Amino acid sequence: MPAHATAHALASGSDRSRADGQAAAGSHAAQQRSRRDARHDAWFRLALQGCALLVLASLLGAALSTLWGGRQILLHDTMGFLTSSQWNPVTGQYGALAPVFGTLVTSCIALLLAAPVSFGIAFFLTEIAPAWLRGPVAGAIELLASIPSIIYGMWGLFVFVPFMASIEPTLSNTLGRLPVVGTLFQGPPLGLGLLTAGVVLAVMIVPFITAIMREAFQSVPLRLKESAHALGSTSWEVVWNIVLPYTRQAVVGGLFLGLGRALGETMAVTFVLGNSYAIGYSLLMPGTTISSAIANEFNEAVGNHRSALIALGFLLFVVTFVVLLCARLMLRQLAKHGDAR
Amino acid sequence: MIEPTCTSTQPWWLRAVNGTALPSHPKLAVRGLDFHYGDSRVLKNIELDIAQNTVTAIIGPSGCGKSTLLRVFNRIYAIYPGLKASGQVLLDGENILDPGYSLNRLRSKVGMVFQKPVPFPMSIFDNIAYGIGHHERLGKADLADRVEEALRRAALWDEVKDKLKRSALGLSGGQQQRLCIARSIALRPEVLLLDEPTSALDPIATSRIEQLIDELKRDYTILIVTHNMQQAARVSDRTAFLYLGELVEVDATEKIFTQPGRKQTEDYITGRFG
Amino acid sequence: MNTALQWRRHLLDQLARGLGLCATALGLLLLVWILWVTLSRGASALGPRLFTQITAHAEQGGLANAIVGSLIMNLLALAMCAPVGVAAGAYLSEYADRTRLGTVLRFVNDILLSAPSIVLGLFVYVVVVLPMSRLSGGSVSFSGLAGAIALALIGLPVIVRSTDEMLRLLPSTLREATLALGIPQWKLVVHVLLRAASSGIATGVLLALARLAGETAPLLFSAFGNNFMSIDPLDKMASLPVTIYQYTNAPDPRLHTIAWAGALLITLAVLALSLLTRLIVHRHAIRHD
Repeated sequence: MPAHATAHALASGSDRSRADGQAAAGSHAAQQRSRRDARHDAWFRLALQGCALLVLASLLGAALSTLWGGRQILLHDTMGFLTSSQWNPVTGQYGALAPVFGTLVTSCIALLLAAPVSFGIAFFLTEIAPAWLRGPVAGAIELLASIPSIIYGMWGLFVFVPFMASIEPTLSNTLGRLPVVGTLFQGPPLGLGLLTAGVVLAVMIVPFITAIMREAFQSVPLRLKESAHALGSTSWEVVWNIVLPYTRQAVVGGLFLGLGRALGETMAVTFVLGNSYAIGYSLLMPGTTISSAIANEFNEAVGNHRSALIALGFLLFVVTFVVLLCARLMLRQLAKHGDAR
Repeated sequence: MIEPTCTSTQPWWLRAVNGTALPSHPKLAVRGLDFHYGDSRVLKNIELDIAQNTVTAIIGPSGCGKSTLLRVFNRIYAIYPGLKASGQVLLDGENILDPGYSLNRLRSKVGMVFQKPVPFPMSIFDNIAYGIGHHERLGKADLADRVEEALRRAALWDEVKDKLKRSALGLSGGQQQRLCIARSIALRPEVLLLDEPTSALDPIATSRIEQLIDELKRDYTILIVTHNMQQAARVSDRTAFLYLGELVEVDATEKIFTQPGRKQTEDYITGRFG
Repeated sequence: MNTALQWRRHLLDQLARGLGLCATALGLLLLVWILWVTLSRGASALGPRLFTQITAHAEQGGLANAIVGSLIMNLLALAMCAPVGVAAGAYLSEYADRTRLGTVLRFVNDILLSAPSIVLGLFVYVVVVLPMSRLSGGSVSFSGLAGAIALALIGLPVIVRSTDEMLRLLPSTLREATLALGIPQWKLVVHVLLRAASSGIATGVLLALARLAGETAPLLFSAFGNNFMSIDPLDKMASLPVTIYQYTNAPDPRLHTIAWAGALLITLAVLALSLLTRLIVHRHAIRHD
């Protein structure tokens, strides 16, 4: 026992009682502080929770407000809206089929083109490229994602449409002559149209899909890849037989995420579509999408026309919500792998 | 550096605490302590007395619950859901596990230093002053005095007195750890909990901290968890050996390391553990 | 037989590598192509007129009111979504990490992150523009404020996500060490955690700004556009992207040139912002390693 402790034990009585009083007061103050802290903590938590709930509110709000704004069309003529391909503000006919068709076709083209390219880039970045090259190249591809969509739209209209117009005759003359597939590639070489919009969309979504595929490929345990390499597998075989099956879910999730982006994109497609409410077989023909119809017509629309456009917005929201929901559910797996790493 | 005559210049609060503690009363008394993590029982019926102004080392193989035991003494475990301690832990005769025992009071009385130094993203001065500011309203001069006192006690003052306004993140690992010790003792605690305080440090910084522990013993009751048995032997007065959540043996350090009473302790000490 | 098989496998591998290389080259080519077009066409239209004249003069004018409008709406949007986003991110990371509500909110936030921005524009039209018009008897309808709200909705999930992720990267010992001093949780979050993660959070805010800077669709039905200089948030407000949209749709090639100049301004701003974020992340990484 240290000497000074004994000395304190012998401290004078008055000194000790004063100290006891102080200690008791201190404990009381601490009690009060604790209560005050608990109160502040509760308020703080509530404030933060309120902010977090705003996220939920904005998603619900987007759904409910477009439903409300489009109620005149959505609720009164549900079947007509969903099944008719006639869109004519003059006669008051509002059928969503043409924009829905255009949205789906352009997005599918975009996905079909973007998927292999993204896979190729992710393959290059994770397996082929030397280490010093990976960071800069990945950064450059990510830069594609940060270019605003209106710039894609301008590039599409002023640069890519003339380019497409110049190659479309060749397309019609080659692919257009094939049986069955040929009908997809017939029509006047306008440059504008579903195919062009799909290609521009593909360029836009490549960086998103690439980023997720790359992250997924990197999440594959090294020992798995190494043991395959040790058995004499080539890089391609490792990716095709080991990496891709291992990351299947995340890869599909990434594709769905890209699809979600493509479905909702407005500015990149609205210039290059040609904006016609037609449903045809040829991809070279002009068309329209939900978002470009809204962007083009909203500010001139009144009454039911405006309501119909908002109803289109609701439809778009529902479709993208379902696609993004699937994407995120599949990507949850990736997040779990990431945690385990 | 701490003056050898510090007993006579000790503030009233320390004298008061020391004065009220009778020799027969341990500073800390653990009675029938159980700890549950979900369904698994991590600590089983722990009984332990810790005398004032001693250093007690808690040793045992990893996963034995030694860190958990340490984390009961300031109820820091309570920030995670699903953890539950039952039984009694008496600090000066009061049960700190009682929900009525205020956390503010407990944590100003029981300080803790962690495995890795975690300085706050603030200046060196503010790292110390921040904790004080929450518990006491002090004038500028008083606050500066308190910060200096804490840094001196942690044997860091001479190294940092010229750069108190600089970010604490620029200090070396050993300095950061002493800063964390200073941060704890700035609140004038009575008990210090050290959770493997040197496991992230190099040998020189480690010996510096061990020396410091020896000096701090005069003012504080210290509990240290360590996986390094030499360290336990060097710094502690008493050693408690924990195995699979049970307190196997607690005794004077010298006795534990020379003639342990239990076979399990001996196996662990001599490295025949398996 | 065996060597033939080896040969085929080798060939396939080389083919795949070649295609991977081609895909990457294609991606980089497109990046360079788009940037080059924007730079060359925009640069030729750059001039002092762009910053001094308003769009009312059309092909004789500039973009002054659009630049000012964009700045006002972006900053206003950031002022709205940054505090809310940081608070929501802190809630997810510090209070709701493993709760059901936290999981749901994180999920919803991720969906909002890639939700179509045009729908958010419609949302603001229905809940802000229409009610304001009704309340004011038609004197206030489309407004810079509505535009800023629409942009804030787009920036919000970006900031929530980055704040959440940055806070979760902090070591749990920092939280324990703070609480062990008897400091309450709200002080821990405000004074210690947010400060420790400040550079990461700043990165998230800059990323959000980069995203907002080019948004067009949500502004069409909220801020609308204005050919005159307006700094009144309750008035219709011009913005760079919407002006570019209108000029691109116009037949006059001189307007196209001005649109390219605007596109260049936006692209430069976005590139500068993403470079800045990378710089911050880089410095941050060095300091903590």
